[in-house]
Amino acid sequence: MPEVSSALSLSTVVLFIPIVGFLAILVFLREEQHTEQIKWTALGTSLVAFVVSLLLWIGYDASVPGLQMVQRNDWLPSAGISFYVGVDGLSLLLIILTTFIMPLAILSSFRVHVLEERGRQKLYYGFMLLLEFAMLGVFMAQDLFLFYVFWEITLVPMYFLIGIWGAEQRMYAAVKFFLYTMAGSILMLLAILYVGIQAGTFSLPDIVAGIQSGAIAFPMDGVLSSTQSFLFLGFFIAFAIKVPLWPFHSWLPDAHVQAPTAGSVILAGVLLKLGTYGIVRFCLPLFPEASVAWAPYVAVLAIIGIIYGAWVSYAQKDVKKLVAYSSVSHLGFVVLGIFALNAQGIQGGILQMVNHGISTGGLFLLVGMLYERRHTKAMDAFGGIWKAMPLFGGLSLIVVLSSMGLPGLNGFVGEFVILLGSFGSSVLGPLFTLFATLGVILAAVYMLYMFQKVFMGELDKEENKNLPQLHWQELAVLIPIIIAIFWIGLQPRPFFDTMDASVNQVVEQVHPYVVQAENTAMLTVDEFVQTAAVR
Amino acid sequence: MFQVPTIADLNLGLTLPALSLALGACILLLLDLFVPRERKEITAWLAMAGIAVSFVLNLAGFNESGTAFLGTFAADQFTGFLNIVILITAFLGVLLSLDYLKRAKIERGEYYVLLLLSAAGMMFMSSANDLIVVFIALELLSIPLYIMATFRAPDLKSEESGMKYFILGAFAGAFFVYGAALVYGATGTTNLPEIFAAVNGIVAAGGSQMFLLLMGTGLILVGLGFKVAVVPFHMWTPDVYEGAPTPVTAFMSVGAKAGGFAGLLRIMVVALPVFVLKDGQTAAAWQQTFWLVAAATLILGNIVAIAQTNVKRMLAYSSIAHAGYIMMAVAAAGTAGVANEATRAALLYLMAYMFTNLGAFGIALAIEKDDGSDTGVDNFIGLAKSKPALAAMMAVFMLSLTGIPLTGGFIGKWFVFKSALDAGLVPLAIIGVLTSVISAFYYVRIIVNMYLKDGEGDPAAGATRYVNWAIYVAFAGTLLMGIFPWIATNLSDTVVLAVEMFVR
Amino acid sequence: MSVDIEVYIALSAILFILGAMGVLVRRNAILVFMSVELMLNAANLALVAFSRLWGGAEGHLFVFFVMTVAAAEVAVGLALIVAIFRSKQSIDIDELHQMEG
Repeated sequence: MPEVSSALSLSTVVLFIPIVGFLAILVFLREEQHTEQIKWTALGTSLVAFVVSLLLWIGYDASVPGLQMVQRNDWLPSAGISFYVGVDGLSLLLIILTTFIMPLAILSSFRVHVLEERGRQKLYYGFMLLLEFAMLGVFMAQDLFLFYVFWEITLVPMYFLIGIWGAEQRMYAAVKFFLYTMAGSILMLLAILYVGIQAGTFSLPDIVAGIQSGAIAFPMDGVLSSTQSFLFLGFFIAFAIKVPLWPFHSWLPDAHVQAPTAGSVILAGVLLKLGTYGIVRFCLPLFPEASVAWAPYVAVLAIIGIIYGAWVSYAQKDVKKLVAYSSVSHLGFVVLGIFALNAQGIQGGILQMVNHGISTGGLFLLVGMLYERRHTKAMDAFGGIWKAMPLFGGLSLIVVLSSMGLPGLNGFVGEFVILLGSFGSSVLGPLFTLFATLGVILAAVYMLYMFQKVFMGELDKEENKNLPQLHWQELAVLIPIIIAIFWIGLQPRPFFDTMDASVNQVVEQVHPYVVQAENTAMLTVDEFVQTAAVR
Repeated sequence: MFQVPTIADLNLGLTLPALSLALGACILLLLDLFVPRERKEITAWLAMAGIAVSFVLNLAGFNESGTAFLGTFAADQFTGFLNIVILITAFLGVLLSLDYLKRAKIERGEYYVLLLLSAAGMMFMSSANDLIVVFIALELLSIPLYIMATFRAPDLKSEESGMKYFILGAFAGAFFVYGAALVYGATGTTNLPEIFAAVNGIVAAGGSQMFLLLMGTGLILVGLGFKVAVVPFHMWTPDVYEGAPTPVTAFMSVGAKAGGFAGLLRIMVVALPVFVLKDGQTAAAWQQTFWLVAAATLILGNIVAIAQTNVKRMLAYSSIAHAGYIMMAVAAAGTAGVANEATRAALLYLMAYMFTNLGAFGIALAIEKDDGSDTGVDNFIGLAKSKPALAAMMAVFMLSLTGIPLTGGFIGKWFVFKSALDAGLVPLAIIGVLTSVISAFYYVRIIVNMYLKDGEGDPAAGATRYVNWAIYVAFAGTLLMGIFPWIATNLSDTVVLAVEMFVR
Repeated sequence: MSVDIEVYIALSAILFILGAMGVLVRRNAILVFMSVELMLNAANLALVAFSRLWGGAEGHLFVFFVMTVAAAEVAVGLALIVAIFRSKQSIDIDELHQMEG
């Protein structure tokens, strides 16, 4: 059990920094007179949050698996609900990712014309900070009630970001995003309530400890009809929609394509990870038996997602849509890694979450910069951009290569470890790895295809010949991403070290049931082929 | 055999909050004679003073419990909590009415008297411990509302609204009386705890008395079901809500529901938990029926609300839907051991609904024109540009009605769903959460109109000072309940309605 | 001479159902209103009969209250009907359809 204290902890500080900025903008600054101040306050706040979150990382003791920098205060004691936050190896990297992406997203909005056109900048930057607060809260919350609160709150600012500053069909996309994700999470509410009623508390570490000691048990007497399976699905479907796992992905392309650049960056960079993080944080330790039983089926969906996402990406004529569908494919990898249910798989999964956040976030930024210059996202409108903007082309190439998983860059590390994990997994197996590898190859195909269409070839279109070079603000957004890409690609060790102990703890919690599953030979490769054929 | 009770036997101290309000209304009726016609806001201020007095008395006596008027009147934390809800409703109702009545040129002092009387009826309802008192309180809360709904006469919509409300209200009242008569016939008493004592023997014996009891329970459900507007007794709601003057709609959408559910909870939980064995759990015989009513209400209210283009009508269907959520808690109260928890959930839900709904109606009222027009959903288009603060608060109200966290609506839903799961009503809870996704459709549409659609935006001429105050109070209440829910739960945690249930 | 309680209750039930039917079927507001009164009085009959059965005073008490409240309802109801008649020259409740939806 982690040491629990009600004193102010560093994690709480990081969590509430964005809210301070949010309130400052809301109360002190006026839309018309203070547009510049609003921008810089938002950027400053998010940078402070980033720096303080680095302190979080420095102060984190990677050799200890449990929660650190914990703070717990009563919220609704009579109902077993507390304000309970802390970080561990599972969440720390994602917290850093959030605070890393947010300043970039905010800085990239400074020069976006849609903001100038539609105005309401106060609202825009306010929602950005509110969103950061909610996302950090999801990663830090250790109480199911608190978690659900933050989880739902993320919906509201994102809904407005898409709805007010999005592209032509923004209203449709925003409402679809809102309803789709709410429909998913509302069943999780019931599952949370059920777990809380059974356990008598909503504190996650307490419940997990109870499950480990056998004090709390959710009966698992059949894959389809047991309490634990229903609860697992209650949580899992909410997460799967957020990820989004095939076949729950249909909201994603709409939301991505319609969202403003910064919205897409946050959506791809952080918001989707809430789903995969939730699986690791909640589904596995709370319902280990059901996780093992459902792992092969989920993995099949993940594989379908990997290949489907890649295939559909290839068919896109719109650059942003292509990147959006590539997310479906990449997050399929993450889910596959997690449900390998071994240390390699989960570590790869978490690292790949970070990688995807950086690479795809970067891709959306690049697409946004192109769009600002040409006001179109159609691939046919470009061609030979390298010649017009060589620096931009070079940076784009690095991000594209990172996204397709070139060795030496970040994407490769994550994908490789996931493939290793799924290969060695006793619930999955080599066949899964084989199909997933197919996804890697396809990723190279559609990414290079896109790069070739946009950047290579002749600079034959008049409009493209005099594109302005990168502004220093744009460079300032891209450089950190390039640095992160190389850093993780060349020096992944510290990242793995950070999460090692915590991931092993989760694996141990699930492990007894994996062994059981092996003994009863749940699903052989032959059976898998049949299931896959049926699907 | 009949002893003349002394004043001391009446225990008047416990009845002070309700009694002071009723007396205040009578005094106000007299004082109003001396208020000049063009200064009727004085009457309103006096009415608010009366409400404040009652509120203070209620808080002072919050932790006292006992019975008064020879056992026909119960004062306990259940009463205290509901009185808070009712008095805030009345207070905000007066604030919303002040300028509205002037704008609509229907300002008359009697309005505030009627409002106080109706609120007094609601308060008597929350402490009624006898079927006779329930009936009197029911009528005391309804009759002034019939008049208030018609206050815009000779406007046809308003007259029609009052007429429909009156006919169906009287109809429902008759059902209630007949049901009460049958329960009396079965048990030989109209006192709620005594009914409970008698029920034990009747369940054991069965026979014709059991039949009378069940028939009586059913008829009482019909009577009170009309008041709280649950399916299938809801059809009057949209017309009445749309036609009545908006502050009246706001007042009755919350107050009549609070009163109706107070009576329903008291009767069902205190007097009539007719236990039967169900799936190894003891549950009330009426639980199944309430379950079905709650499910039907949730589904119909939420689905029909989607099709509405008038905000008042939309909020009418939404109020039906919210009655469904409260009904869910009442159904959960039918499981032995969950009754108190479920009662608390219903109370918390009522409080959250009170703040949110009054706020939403307040904003609808601010947009409405002097002649009662412009209450369409489309009139919200562009409001974020013309009135950013109002739009932001409306957005919060809509999110609260949807049940998004950090608003009171979420806290209410959380406890209602929890009690339903605790009571083993899993399918009902699932219907509840799915229909709340459906409800997002029509609540979010208002937000879409305000923020996402381009338009001039209504100047919201009705957002005068007092209306703004009322909206601020509602907004603060909605957020405070969402962020610091212990403020409300500390009050509700002391509510113990069904102490007998554990004895059994 | 005494009549069985069942007879009273049966009569009151019949009157109550007649009244309820009247409310649902009749279109004239006054007649609808009278039907409601019939229902209330059916309840009164049942209350008095039960009161005699149990030998208590509560039933009688209830009846007095019902009568008083019914009188108050009549006052309000007739006023409403008059008001509507003045604006519409009709008290047919089927013609009350200002609002649709």
